[in-house]
Amino acid sequence: MYSLITNNAELHHSVKSGEYIEGSALDVLIRVRSLVHSGSIVLTHTLCGNLRPNHQPFRSVIVDEIQGPVDLDSLSVIESAVNVYQSSPLITPDELDDGRRNDYAYIDAELMRESLKHYGLMKGENLCNASSLLVKEV
Amino acid sequence: MKLELHRLKVKGLKFGEKTGFENGILTVSKAEILALVSEDPLLGKNIDVDIAMPGEETRIMPVKDVIEPRWKISGKGQVFPGMLSDVETVGEGQTLVLSGCAVLTAGKLVRFQEGIIDMSGVGSDYTPYSKTCNVVLVLEPSDPNMDKHDYEAACRIAGLKTAAYLAKSCAGCKADTVEVYERPTIREAMNSYPELPKVGYIYMLQTQGLLHDTYLYGVDVKRILPTIISPLEVMDGAIVSGNCVSACDKNSTYSHLNNPVIADMLKRHGKDFNFVACIVTNENVTLADKRRSSSYAAKLASMLGLDGVVITEEGFGNPDADLIMNCRKCEQLGIKTALLTDEYAGQDGASQSLADSCPEGNACVTAGNANEVIHLPAMKKVIGFAEEANVIAGGWNGSLADDGTITVELQAITGATSELGYTKLGAYTL
Repeated sequence: MYSLITNNAELHHSVKSGEYIEGSALDVLIRVRSLVHSGSIVLTHTLCGNLRPNHQPFRSVIVDEIQGPVDLDSLSVIESAVNVYQSSPLITPDELDDGRRNDYAYIDAELMRESLKHYGLMKGENLCNASSLLVKEV
Repeated sequence: MKLELHRLKVKGLKFGEKTGFENGILTVSKAEILALVSEDPLLGKNIDVDIAMPGEETRIMPVKDVIEPRWKISGKGQVFPGMLSDVETVGEGQTLVLSGCAVLTAGKLVRFQEGIIDMSGVGSDYTPYSKTCNVVLVLEPSDPNMDKHDYEAACRIAGLKTAAYLAKSCAGCKADTVEVYERPTIREAMNSYPELPKVGYIYMLQTQGLLHDTYLYGVDVKRILPTIISPLEVMDGAIVSGNCVSACDKNSTYSHLNNPVIADMLKRHGKDFNFVACIVTNENVTLADKRRSSSYAAKLASMLGLDGVVITEEGFGNPDADLIMNCRKCEQLGIKTALLTDEYAGQDGASQSLADSCPEGNACVTAGNANEVIHLPAMKKVIGFAEEANVIAGGWNGSLADDGTITVELQAITGATSELGYTKLGAYTL
């Protein structure tokens, strides 16, 4: 069963199947690693694009949740991601003001959009409210 | 395939009633540009056009894309095919280039993913676009609640339209220089220079998702399989940036048009190696896509019988995985690789600089450490919105000081660590 593991609450509510992790991006990766240990296959890359771990507090990973022998490719990908996050300073969602938190949540969701569509996990078209990204008084 | 680039050398800019070119000066009609850009109902009423010259105490931010004005004066198709013009194949005939000039799109878009261009001071040493005569569009959406993707597309098209319009307005002028590029067919290339190694170029394009996109003949590159393209098509704008990612290493449309890897490979073709083909590929999010595209790009290189490839990346993070897959799969097929990337090694330069690596990646060129911190002096004039320094990638809350100085990582400077090598950072022999 395809499943989205994420600490992005708004994105979690927009998908058909998944698990919400209340915590940091590293907590998400550690949960994915546990699933891989019991046989799940990682379907999307575990590192985010163009943002370092200390810049992007959200992490979302799609897995095929199954029980079985360990998939070594998935294990390799998730272990290296956990290493990267363990060796970097992290920010957590609750360290940010609302505007920034929404910006990062929106980009996290947008970068998952194609993959969520591909694996049939989207409930509707809207993933995350983009209002804070739009022009506003600063 | 033969393409002539007719270059008009732009040495200065001024506003005037009618757009045109005379004695090295490009006159820009603000009214004409505003009329052209405001045709789009997605763009708001407070659009502005400004100009910025090298050496001026001017800061432009946040910058989305940089585009070189070009216009085809003969040959099939028109510049930026599938995006601005019809989908006809380009790369043949004559194309007018306003050399030394650039159109910049600026405004608040995906706020933390745009960049800074300083026209003087220490910041100008890090961006190639401080040396161009810049026509700046400061844009806003007509509806503050507009969908981000619609607004990104509107900004992208506004920039391309302006660049094409400026060059079109100078179409009757006699070029200062004419460069002639001629490319053989693959069949001819295969039979040429038997003593030289056959070399290709794997050209990776950012395609991680909406707002992290690149277009080829108007097609979203995330939806393509790797394919072969002539370098001459790239010079006519077949590849267009739709990116809103870190400013330092997103490949602007300008840097695609002037891709220095292609330029150098064309120069060395027939001397050091036989430059057979250019392969474009994507950087998608799912692991299956990454595996498919890297296997397919390596397979194309192998089918062409290449001895070696240059591979350039765009962006960082999980695209590092695409870079490494391309490298490893080519090497496993007996094709030597040279990689061009940049680094995110932390402000002290001590962290792991790439998210992925492999033993086969033993020939790697870096465009610099994007995390290096730089202090930018205050400028007399800011085109755009200086306060964005506090939210752009590479900046932080407090990056913009009360006195107008800005402290940021190089990541925030447009083009500072371009992975096409279109950057001012490098190692030089003195």
